[in-house]
Amino acid sequence: MADIGILRAAIAPVRRLWRRPAAVEVAPKVGEDEQDAHAHFRDGLIKRRGGDSEGALAAFDRTLALVPDFADAVMERAEILDGLGRSDEARAEYERARRLWSELPPGAADRRYVYRRQGYFAFEAESYDLVRTNVRSKILPQIAHGNARLAHGHAAEALDSYERALKVNPKLTEVLALKGEALSAMGRYEEAIQIFDGVLAAHPQDVDTLNARGIARAALGRLAEANDDWRHQFDLLPQTSSAARACVAMRMANYSAAFNDFGVAISKEPNNAYWLLYRLTAARLAGAPTEPVTLPADDRWETLLLAFRTGQATEEALLDRADSPNRHAEARFQMGVLAVDGNPAAARRYWREVVDQGPPALIEFAAASNELARLGA
Amino acid sequence: MFSVILYGRNDSHGYNLHKRAAISFNALAEIMSDPDDEILFVDYNTPDDHPTFPEAIHDTLTDKAKKVMRVLRIRPDQHVRHRLKTHLVALEAQSRNVALRRSNPRNRWILYTNTDMLLVPRNEKESLSDILGALPDGFYQVPRFEIPEMLWEAAFDRRDPVGNLAKLRDWSMRFHLNQVVHNYMPMKYDALGDFQAALRDDMFAIHGFDEDMILGWHCDSNLAARLALYRGRVDTLVDKLFGYHCDHTRVAAANNKGRATRMNDQDRFIWNVATPYVPAQAETWGWPDVEIEEIRLDRDTPYQRYSAGLDKAIEPATMPFVETSLEWQLFDDLTYDLPHTLPFVCDQVVTFPRTTNLMLVATRPDFVSSFAKAWKGMGFTGPILIPEECEGLPADLPGVARAPFAEQLSSAELFVFEFGLASQTATEPVRAGRQIGPLDKKRLRVVERLFKRAAASEADTRPEGRRVARRFIGVNVIYNKFWHAFTNYVGANINPFCSQVLAGPPREDDSLKGKVLKFRGRHAL
Repeated sequence: MADIGILRAAIAPVRRLWRRPAAVEVAPKVGEDEQDAHAHFRDGLIKRRGGDSEGALAAFDRTLALVPDFADAVMERAEILDGLGRSDEARAEYERARRLWSELPPGAADRRYVYRRQGYFAFEAESYDLVRTNVRSKILPQIAHGNARLAHGHAAEALDSYERALKVNPKLTEVLALKGEALSAMGRYEEAIQIFDGVLAAHPQDVDTLNARGIARAALGRLAEANDDWRHQFDLLPQTSSAARACVAMRMANYSAAFNDFGVAISKEPNNAYWLLYRLTAARLAGAPTEPVTLPADDRWETLLLAFRTGQATEEALLDRADSPNRHAEARFQMGVLAVDGNPAAARRYWREVVDQGPPALIEFAAASNELARLGA
Repeated sequence: MFSVILYGRNDSHGYNLHKRAAISFNALAEIMSDPDDEILFVDYNTPDDHPTFPEAIHDTLTDKAKKVMRVLRIRPDQHVRHRLKTHLVALEAQSRNVALRRSNPRNRWILYTNTDMLLVPRNEKESLSDILGALPDGFYQVPRFEIPEMLWEAAFDRRDPVGNLAKLRDWSMRFHLNQVVHNYMPMKYDALGDFQAALRDDMFAIHGFDEDMILGWHCDSNLAARLALYRGRVDTLVDKLFGYHCDHTRVAAANNKGRATRMNDQDRFIWNVATPYVPAQAETWGWPDVEIEEIRLDRDTPYQRYSAGLDKAIEPATMPFVETSLEWQLFDDLTYDLPHTLPFVCDQVVTFPRTTNLMLVATRPDFVSSFAKAWKGMGFTGPILIPEECEGLPADLPGVARAPFAEQLSSAELFVFEFGLASQTATEPVRAGRQIGPLDKKRLRVVERLFKRAAASEADTRPEGRRVARRFIGVNVIYNKFWHAFTNYVGANINPFCSQVLAGPPREDDSLKGKVLKFRGRHAL
């Protein structure tokens, strides 16, 4: 081991502690633009409910000027235009909103349902906020509001909603599990694990909570325990849940299982580029022969990752668009995959970066952790 | 591309149900364009001796509707375990889940709606298959618009779905029908249950409808709450199509008692829903292990089966008419015209499951052989059980099982008791003052004794697991000496003499007379 390697190994635990906060999933990075856009969106909803269509349209225009892909605002505009008889304009807006939503990558299939969809969920957050002020002391509006916030990275708000739901019924394990998810997303892993332990004591076969506890454990560096949870989850998942099985196999670095299950998942969801990417990755890491890949004709992030993996995009091009912790970790992980055969030290370096800086909930975080353990880093 | 799931039964749920349903079935079929599309109608708890609802109105359906419709028949005996828990005779969650389980796995979408809805694509050139085929994954609703009762009843032609959809496009503007009624999330719109399009995979993932909801109402809202959690969002298809509901509140439906209506608990099933899933029914929703009969309207119809059966058993008449009489002096004459009677007997059985085990207790050998041919010709696969106590009947008929009455009683699912004269020949005149001979008397005594025993002990001798009373069909029991004997034990309607047949379940008679009859019947006194 080179001097720098020895030094790195010596300070690794300290580095992990030092870097950990940066890996937390909370989205404090929400820019002012998005905050302002959300405020305009709320204003638009209020105006629309008050019958001021023109005022609402203007508010949604302001929203979209700040954040052009704010699909919720596009859909609101569409409905207003349609109601005003401007149906041709509306039609394009409806389609645009749907396109924006459908272009968002799906979340990991092995995680709790709340994480499997992405988006702003601004309409939902506002709507359920209104509902909970009218339908008081009920659980659904609180959970739905919490989920809308959690899915968009506002874990603290989500936690508040879940705690309100728990005031109605403190024993509801479904809500406790969601609270655990919020805590985990805030980096409060020990508290999250404590909650997950309680949920699993009541429902030992709750596959979503096994996954969540695995993530929290992995975040604390307790990889063996995390793998135990994921292995248990994998064993419990039915064969028909191929995408979930594949994702959790990937976390455990069980690449042959991941390869097979991603194959089935692709046959069900041929347009999910992540499944293709992960199948390629699993094949590479399991030593299976490479299969030909046809790249989708779009410029989505996951397509770029695929292009990189197949030698059709450069590292620079990839890193240029790695504009979030998630993307950065995904890019680094794939760089490690490409490097591992010819330059294991480089692969180790990339994966170390994923583990040190990436969000622990990412599949890549878990896979990289397992690879590092395997490589003896 | 999609499976539409509907449910109902052959009754009169609300005003002019038959017209509403025909309009709706035909309109739904009209907007299907994918070869995998299907309408799944769950016929829930229609009495065994009735046809299913779509069969009852098949003549008002278009060829296309008949082609795409699969009728899944849930029998009263399959519903009976819920009977004490609900006042309803048709259960929505169970029905919809049975259909979901059996829906075409090649279809990506499931559409939940009802038998009084018309869906009108805003772009006339688009089918609903086109619309759903182009949609991203999601959970979609459309607002429901109302059609005044006069309009659909007076102006729609049941068998002209294209014309009806065109009328709606016109009326929607002319009569200002299109009012979007928003609702609290997650319901999005009022009356959301009339259009909920969900991915088939999602419905399987969340374990279908919640089958604890057996009191009626809010099944749609519960589904919306759970799918909204699961998907994160409730999307609209208002830009693609409008949904119109044939208003039918002139007469309240059975589940609508105004403010006294019993309903599923809103708090439990809507506002306190905490998860998309119903883990308690994860393995059982939609009754995966229960065999559900499937009926098609475009092939193997009841009429085709009925006529196929009778064609095997009787020749066409050669005379314009035959005569009989119910004059008083002929009361003891038990002759009857077999070729005339057999169609009415077959009419009583053709709606039963094909696997039915039927007990036949009879005197006339020609009745037995004719009925056996008809039974087989109608496609029944269950055996005809003939007690060994019945002498003088053909021995080796295919599909007939002989054994002692006591052994066969608990296997029988349907009874036919025939009270004729064993000695009657095919050529002799009917009801012309024929006397009963000693052999006839002997055979009739056996039939009567077995009938009374079967009817009096029916509740105690049912096949294992069966909870619904078995039906008794009496042949040649009108205006003769066995009329009283039969109706003392069987709750039959008054039928015209010409039909020759009475049928019904065993009578529930708690009077002293009823108890005495039951005692005598059981002990063959």
